[in-house]
Amino acid sequence: MALYNFKKIMVVPTAKEFIDITLSKTQRKTPTVIHKHYQIHRIRHFYMRKVKFTQQNYHDRLTQILTDFPKLDDIHPFYADLMNVLYDKDHYKLALGQINIAKNLIDNVAKDYVRLMKYGDSLYRCKQLKRAALGRMCTILKRQKSSLEYLEQVRQHLSRLPTIDPNTRTLLLCGYPNVGKSSFINKVTRADVDVQPYAFTTKSLFVGHMDYRYLRWQVVDTPGILDHPLEDRNTIEMQAITALAHLRAAVLYVMDVSEQCGHTLQEQLELFNNIRPLFANKPLIIVANKCDVKKITELSEENQACDRLLAHRVDTKMKGKKVHDVLNRLHLAMPTKRDEKERPPFIPEGALTRRKAMEVDAPKRKLERDLEMELGDDYILDLQKYWDLMNDDEKQDKIPEVWEGHNIADYIDPDIMKKLQELEKEEELKERAGEYDSDDESEDEEMQEIRVLAKQIREKKQLMVVESKEKDVHGPRMPRTATKVRTLEKEMGNLGLDMNDKDGSHYAQQARRSRSIAKKRKREASAPPTSKTRSQSASRPPRDQSGLRDPKMAKKAKKIMKNSQKGMNRQGKKGEADRHVFDLKPKHLLAGKRKSGTTDRR
Amino acid sequence: MRIEKCYFCSGPVYPGHGVMFVRNDCKSFRFCRSKCHKNFKKKRNPRKTRWTKAFRKASGKELTVDNSLEFEKRRNIPVKYNRELWDKTVEAMKRVEEIKLKRQARFIMNRLKKGKQLEKEEAINEVKKNIHLIKAPHAGKAKQMEDKMVQKLQEDVDMEDEDN
Repeated sequence: MALYNFKKIMVVPTAKEFIDITLSKTQRKTPTVIHKHYQIHRIRHFYMRKVKFTQQNYHDRLTQILTDFPKLDDIHPFYADLMNVLYDKDHYKLALGQINIAKNLIDNVAKDYVRLMKYGDSLYRCKQLKRAALGRMCTILKRQKSSLEYLEQVRQHLSRLPTIDPNTRTLLLCGYPNVGKSSFINKVTRADVDVQPYAFTTKSLFVGHMDYRYLRWQVVDTPGILDHPLEDRNTIEMQAITALAHLRAAVLYVMDVSEQCGHTLQEQLELFNNIRPLFANKPLIIVANKCDVKKITELSEENQACDRLLAHRVDTKMKGKKVHDVLNRLHLAMPTKRDEKERPPFIPEGALTRRKAMEVDAPKRKLERDLEMELGDDYILDLQKYWDLMNDDEKQDKIPEVWEGHNIADYIDPDIMKKLQELEKEEELKERAGEYDSDDESEDEEMQEIRVLAKQIREKKQLMVVESKEKDVHGPRMPRTATKVRTLEKEMGNLGLDMNDKDGSHYAQQARRSRSIAKKRKREASAPPTSKTRSQSASRPPRDQSGLRDPKMAKKAKKIMKNSQKGMNRQGKKGEADRHVFDLKPKHLLAGKRKSGTTDRR
Repeated sequence: MRIEKCYFCSGPVYPGHGVMFVRNDCKSFRFCRSKCHKNFKKKRNPRKTRWTKAFRKASGKELTVDNSLEFEKRRNIPVKYNRELWDKTVEAMKRVEEIKLKRQARFIMNRLKKGKQLEKEEAINEVKKNIHLIKAPHAGKAKQMEDKMVQKLQEDVDMEDEDN
């Protein structure tokens, strides 16, 4: 069962407004741009979307209305009856039914037109279809104008109904008009009901709340009831009757003893008897009101309507069963006496003395203010004299707080001396055990030598690394034999080898041998050479002398060579095959604005 | 007046210095300078930032468990002022500080001893492997051989003389 909240029903718009809202929403929330050269599926989709969107909006809004308004079968019969009395059950159901039908019709229209749109073959056709669909939906809604207006009025009235909880403790006031029911409720609760001298001031039900025995009670004030049969009753009286019929409450039948309401006691009695069947199963109290005007004792004995002369008494018979349930679960525990010892309540001495001092005007002690007055200019506020220390002469001490970056307060401990002694003992033990001996064992000579050698090795390694980085890998790659003999000799000398006997060394002998062989070759030119390669290598002139007759030609050749190299050298080329193009003026550095920074340094 | 500890680097925050930050869960953080503050705002963990004391203690580079460190402890119950107690405490503080410094120094020295050992071994290794870079293997050998030969000849001559 859905919980209805009468105050939270959505506003029901008028038909015109409804249409306006929905159509403008369609225009805003769907795409608006379409051209006739778009693909046809796109055009169809565009218009179908509009139709469906409008249908969706109408559907949603109408469904919301239908769910917000309460179904008379689902709510408490008191409210159902009340609504019937106020708004006419049939009319109400009819209005909601019409809305439902409208919703279904709109759905159908949309479905049909979407189906038709599938066969639209041009923008114009699709547009016309959409126009037709929207137009039909709006016409359907225009026809519901009266239903919507009625529902809006119902909603407004419904939200203003007093919230009467049919299940809680209630007192119901009923009686003739003008007997004093509203005055009573005004007095007893915080409600502010109109009280006027004319009849039917109260035209609907009013609720007030009051507290009694730590519980909240509802007091319901009804419009007055006149004495005529049920069918003749008007809406106002019917409300009272409904309340009487459905609310499980204690009924207070109010009678006007002084007959100021305009009806005699007899008439009031008659009314009471007429509506007696409504009081079945409800505790009933008859209240004699306005007895300040006419005392009960002045009434004639014929009037037996008033049973009791009371201001007010609440009958909790209705709630009696519930109270017993609770009582079963409650239990007040009183501690039993353990022994005969008296244990009176304890009042501390200070409280007693203070009480005595309050009674007797005790002499005040000397205040700081008095001291200030006495000393005048010499007065210094010295709060340290009120300190509660063990030795009074220490009160004026300046207390140290910090020493060398440490807070003294962190070290304060009553047993600090004990701990310090333990620490000293520990320290002594450690020292004796030799923990604090410095241990730079003098190393023996061997180790020192090794260290020196290791240092030299490391330096040599670093040097080798640096040298290898310096060598020119991009230039021509010289064979190993190109290293001069002199450097080799120096190197070997550095490594500790004896270089004094150079003539007897292997490489010197080899050099001598090769030269002598070559010389011998030349003297014996007539003899055929033993191997071909050797002869050719011996007889071939070096390259810069081949083909040149005399030194003059050689000079010229050299000049031409240098000339042809000049151009390449000037352009910084490495050789004739070097075609690298340098970017000496890169554009991104020398031209254009910079993102951040200045351009006065390029 | 107290000298507080910086949350990040555990350094001293003197009065009038630094910044205190109070978080919504009522935890307050003090910083000695903006370096620590900025690091904190970058959500860096002081236990992982190498230059802080927290890192050094957490990674065992400094003395952490020691009796001399138990003296300096924030106490929540105040003790009433008593002149002799204060005097004694100041004396004790000085002594404790000495001992603490000694022990901390010893701890670090012990830690670095291992390094010296490794250095020694490395030097020996280096010399063993790469001695050829500064001294050729048979550097003094020629001379030795000569000397030996001379000695041998001498011996032969002596022997001949003897025979004769």
